[in-house]
Amino acid sequence: MRRFLAPLTIIVLIVGACSGGATPTPAGSTGTAPSVAPGGSVESTAPSTAAFDPKSITGTAKLSGWQSSDAENAALTATVAAFEAAYPNIKVDYKVTAGDYAAVMATNFSSKNVPDLFYVDATFAQPWSDAGFLEPLDDYIAKSGFDTSTFFPGYESVFKGSDGKIYGLAKDGNTIGMAYNTAEVPTAPKTLDELVTTASGLKGKDSLKAPMCLNPGLDRGLAFVYAQGGSIVSDDGKTNTADSPATKTAVQWYLDQFKSGNAMTASDMGDGWCGESLGKKHAAFAFEGGWLDPAMTSTFPDTKYAWGQFPTGTSGSPVTISYTAAYSIGADSANKDQAWVLLQYLAGKDGMTKWTEGGVALPSRSDVPTPKGKDVLVAQAQFAKPGSGFFKGYADVQKAFQDAFTLEIQNKTYNADTVIAATKAAVDKALAS
Amino acid sequence: MALASARDPRASVGHGQRSEALAGYGFVAIPMFLYFVLNIGAIVYMIWISVWQWNIRSGAGKFIGLQNYQNTLTDPIFHRAIQNTLYYAVVWVPLTMALGLLLAVLVNQKLRGRTFFRAAFYFPAIASSAAITILWIFLAAPDGFFNGVRSALGLNPIFDLLGFKANQNWIGDAKTALNSVILLNAWTTSGTFMLFYLASLQTISHEIYEAAAIDGASSWQMFWRITFPLLKPGHYFVATVAVIGALQLFDQAVIAGGTDGSPANALMTVVLYLYNIAFAKFDFDYAAAVGLILFVIIFTITLIQRRLFGSAPAW
Repeated sequence: MRRFLAPLTIIVLIVGACSGGATPTPAGSTGTAPSVAPGGSVESTAPSTAAFDPKSITGTAKLSGWQSSDAENAALTATVAAFEAAYPNIKVDYKVTAGDYAAVMATNFSSKNVPDLFYVDATFAQPWSDAGFLEPLDDYIAKSGFDTSTFFPGYESVFKGSDGKIYGLAKDGNTIGMAYNTAEVPTAPKTLDELVTTASGLKGKDSLKAPMCLNPGLDRGLAFVYAQGGSIVSDDGKTNTADSPATKTAVQWYLDQFKSGNAMTASDMGDGWCGESLGKKHAAFAFEGGWLDPAMTSTFPDTKYAWGQFPTGTSGSPVTISYTAAYSIGADSANKDQAWVLLQYLAGKDGMTKWTEGGVALPSRSDVPTPKGKDVLVAQAQFAKPGSGFFKGYADVQKAFQDAFTLEIQNKTYNADTVIAATKAAVDKALAS
Repeated sequence: MALASARDPRASVGHGQRSEALAGYGFVAIPMFLYFVLNIGAIVYMIWISVWQWNIRSGAGKFIGLQNYQNTLTDPIFHRAIQNTLYYAVVWVPLTMALGLLLAVLVNQKLRGRTFFRAAFYFPAIASSAAITILWIFLAAPDGFFNGVRSALGLNPIFDLLGFKANQNWIGDAKTALNSVILLNAWTTSGTFMLFYLASLQTISHEIYEAAAIDGASSWQMFWRITFPLLKPGHYFVATVAVIGALQLFDQAVIAGGTDGSPANALMTVVLYLYNIAFAKFDFDYAAAVGLILFVIIFTITLIQRRLFGSAPAW
């Protein structure tokens, strides 16, 4: 008996030690209340009820985000320096989170050792806020009179949690536009019909493997679905619309571009992504965001290209999709007040102006000047719909669509019905959860 | 003192044995503590997590019992991950063992440049798996080395008959992606298995071969009647290591196909799916259930292997 007692005791001790944090605790605590100081407001549009004076806050704010390019690091460093000049009482301790950002943040959330302010991709906004990892910002916004009305709607909405509270403010944004090789395409097509006509005329020309580079997923395909009046869920996010006639027509149209040879995936062209296909002149059209520009300038300087607005489809209205990431404060962040002061600067007009001057990001606010050469992409933010994180479980829907779509292309069956069926089932499951 | 020892020699021996035993326990205490915490403790904790709605920040929520295990029964991506992983193990393990044995037998001969060949065959094993997978992606790309070579050799009509296009996207096509990764890993791991087999080969006495030669056995007969059976401990070791490694396939799959197992789940493995559930969806309790199922599969297969190969070899 004694033989078994010793290991059993050890196991019990381990379980006890490991389950120490297992006591249910309310998720999403509001954390430290903002300190109250008379006078002052962050944004001048706020009413005089503001009760949070950022100038009165002192200390350090730990800032973190995912690994990025040298240009982006330089832009952030300049922005942080501008913040420290404007708020000399707060020092910013910026550290990059290396590796798989979500995985590293998971360990941070688990150990309750999170940075004070950190990046949150739109994809993670809802699961992280629902899990109680993020601090709601509504109190801070109200007490400091921070004006959120100038954020483009597509960038603001994805950071609202299931409880309607705001869990992040978009640090920047990007819309999907049409990049085209100006040597092959002298005039940008304005509609999808014009796009198909132009693409058909380019087949087999020069070094083109296909006129268009298209992704086999909703990460770009959703913009084409919207352009043709389709959708995946209703605007309120409660009804499954994946099998509507307009959606089915749009998906079939998208498949037909591959069937006719107007389009290929980047992978089938031997490229890593469509920007590379455009740069290597394997394709004349790529549907990308502002991240394309630094890649083209640095890697493919010989390829001349321009931006065109995302073509209008049968819906008759201009539409595209957008991507964004936010600054959020952790529910377990140690220096929330300092983090808020930094956040309201970085997501405010002055900070975002400085940040986007770096040329690597586009503003998520309409009152920030448009960086040079980004007019088309910024203007599209007026009508862009979110391209990720706009309902819970959307990532699974994307995967279901992409898996089914890829098989339709590779099996050369090009049948929208199977794609629609897989997508509809995934949306049903997501909405039920 | 000498008198006391002489008077009761058993007491002295007993004391020595106890000291020796205590020293032994002392030496193994720390490794055993770590083993219990990091292995047994982790498994127990995984079981604990899997029966709750688990939030990594706040811990256990609602008790859900075996719900996560039931959910795996109706999860098509999990089924695909199991299917891919088992297919990979069934094809890759014998292929790589055969390659490793072949290489070991070759470099065990008295050949000129034997050291060079040993190093060359082992070289892919010491290269970073990330780097070598990326190299493989380039080689297997539509306009990559493989398609270029078969085109130059005029082999395209044969490949065409087999259903492969001239610009076949070996890793990007759902029909060929997993087999491409199998070939990659057979290439990179056969060098390691060669080393294992080489060590086993060198334990076989030359006298046996000499006796067989006197009896007129051919090289082929010597291999199948002497070498192969006497390598049983080597087979057991290599097969066990290979199966466990195969069932844990992750890095090559994630580099070649991304975290979603693209194309169309062709590269979705159980460990990749587990990673996805935990770190993309933050569904840690379901991930724990998947992890436990994988543990049970590996444990069961290892027991079956042990039964097939008889009792544990005396290494």
